[in-house]
Amino acid sequence: MPLDIEMLNFLDSPNFVSLAALEVGQHFYWHIGSLKVHGQVFLATWFVMSVLIVASLLATRNIQQIPKGMQNLMEYAMDFIRELTRNQIGEKEYRPWVPFIGTLFLFIFVCNWSGALIPWKLIHLPEGELAAPTNDINTTVALSLLVSIAYFYAGFKKKGLGYFAKYVQPTPILLPIAVLEDFTKPLSLSFRLFGNILADELVVGVLVLLVPLFVPLPVMLLGLFTSAIQALVFATLAGAYIHEALEGHGDEHEEEHA
Amino acid sequence: MFDFDATLPLMAVQFILLMVVLNAILFKPLTKVIEDRSTLISNSQTGAKEGLEQVNAITQQYEKALIDSRRQYQSIIAKAQAEAQKTASEKIAAAQAEAVAARETATRELAAQKISAMAELEKQVDSLSQEIVNKLLVGV
Repeated sequence: MPLDIEMLNFLDSPNFVSLAALEVGQHFYWHIGSLKVHGQVFLATWFVMSVLIVASLLATRNIQQIPKGMQNLMEYAMDFIRELTRNQIGEKEYRPWVPFIGTLFLFIFVCNWSGALIPWKLIHLPEGELAAPTNDINTTVALSLLVSIAYFYAGFKKKGLGYFAKYVQPTPILLPIAVLEDFTKPLSLSFRLFGNILADELVVGVLVLLVPLFVPLPVMLLGLFTSAIQALVFATLAGAYIHEALEGHGDEHEEEHA
Repeated sequence: MFDFDATLPLMAVQFILLMVVLNAILFKPLTKVIEDRSTLISNSQTGAKEGLEQVNAITQQYEKALIDSRRQYQSIIAKAQAEAQKTASEKIAAAQAEAVAARETATRELAAQKISAMAELEKQVDSLSQEIVNKLLVGV
């Protein structure tokens, strides 16, 4: 359902057109066999991935006991991620989940900031425009479905079929709500990220369209802040969901007293 | 805006690939180096703590030894002083006694000499007076 915000075109004097135009829901389609994919999302994603991989290679190319330069930066990020994962999942079981939560955080963070910091508009695509990969609902839903799979995997791996016990654990009356939660979790995760990033880019776009210079800067800064927070929120919630699946309702108190 | 298509599964696959790659080139090596470093730090901290304890123990031992030897030398000095005092006073007493004895002997000798000299003098006075008498009587 392409939805254009070309209604703002009443502002379109020829001067504005070159500066900014808003397009939502227009995509640069690639056709793979009978499948359609959003090319602009993939281009931006590959860019983000290459940034991450290059940064990682630079950081670990010449790894040293006393960190310097890129290694120092990535170790800072690594410490942050480990701390976040440990806080969410707990000292005992957080280690295997660090790569997942960490990749989520780094990927979303770099995606969001790339959308805010890199002048994608300078690169013209035949259709649609380059932006943060996270402002496409496909990306965010893919990520949140992965989170769902991850916490189900965590639960089943820890407790086997006993994982289902958590649905009826305090009382079977809450069973519908417990089942509903498994749908609302990915839904809220994906829409929160998608909505925030898309809204941020739209606000900046509209402001740039109305007042091209300086005025949008505070909103852009706010956008950077929101982007970072959204990455943090996504990673934190993913950790919290995994923790919930690992703990269940039954042995929660046991854990607290241990 | 909400058009789902093959982008979704492909993004999921890409993300998993990214996770595998980052795990190999970022998370594993960094985790290893961070944990190695914290082990190293805690080891050297333990070592330093042990060393400090040793140093403290040795310092205490030395201080104790120092106090002991101070007490010892003080007692030695005191003993030596007392001995020296004793020797000195003994010697002084002996010297005094000797001096007194010498003075007494001298006094006694002096008195004896005085007596003998007096006797001699008397004898000489006697003989001289006899001679005077004789000479006078001869003239008469």
